[in-house]
Amino acid sequence: MNIPRRKYEATVPSMAMGDIAFLLLIFFVILARVQDDSHIQWEPAKLENLDTAKNAKASVAIDADNKLYLNGKPIGLSDLAPQISDILGEAPAGKRMVFLKVHKHATATYFEPVIEAISEAGGDLMHVLDDARKK
Amino acid sequence: MMKIKRRNNLLVESPASATSDIAFILIIFFLVCASVQPEDGQKQSLPKSEDQPDKKQQSENPEVAISRNSIILNGNPLKPEKFRTEIKKVLAQKKRDVDKVVVVKSKPDTPYEIWIEAAGFIKEAGGIITLQLEEQQTQMVN
Repeated sequence: MNIPRRKYEATVPSMAMGDIAFLLLIFFVILARVQDDSHIQWEPAKLENLDTAKNAKASVAIDADNKLYLNGKPIGLSDLAPQISDILGEAPAGKRMVFLKVHKHATATYFEPVIEAISEAGGDLMHVLDDARKK
Repeated sequence: MMKIKRRNNLLVESPASATSDIAFILIIFFLVCASVQPEDGQKQSLPKSEDQPDKKQQSENPEVAISRNSIILNGNPLKPEKFRTEIKKVLAQKKRDVDKVVVVKSKPDTPYEIWIEAAGFIKEAGGIITLQLEEQQTQMVN
């Protein structure tokens, strides 16, 4: 006597794919927000003949209230050089770019020690500015 | 009368396979937005500590003092446009890289927009900026 075999339908559960993808989406959005410094209130100084660069390892900012930030997080001047050093690690020359965003009215008292700290950490400094020729 | 049987093969489940495609496209969109935004600015070469000119050498390097109201090149107060031409003349005479180091001293109240303008002129003239910060003084109080 022949016993008929049961037939099982083997399908890939595609419902889970959507969930995984959304979790990945949330993960990347949070990761992007960690380094985001768009909340900092600052106005760039204007200059002509600017260079363009991307993929900086770190971003240092001085806002309109002369507060100091590293990658969007408030930081003290004494911690700046060691923390930049940690971020840059053993990156080779040319891949140690550090963006410096200084509010145009900030005074030398605040920005000169920051430049010195970036230099001490071995960063390639780039002042983020506004093109004077743009309206 | 003959009854016609209705087919009950309608799809009742939402097509879930498309959501993963939409989500992945969103991931790519956010990643591209986050990573490919270039910044405009000015690169500044910072002399390393071993390249710092010694005291004797420093006296031969051009000195620029920047304050809120003036830019002083080797003791001569100049207007920004005049400074631009003068620093070019001074650095054109220097042949070695170490001689092109410009010692910049700023008054504490110098605004960044004035400082960066002067730094831009120095860079344009081929100079390398080194900062001379105000030395901290310890005062003994009796």
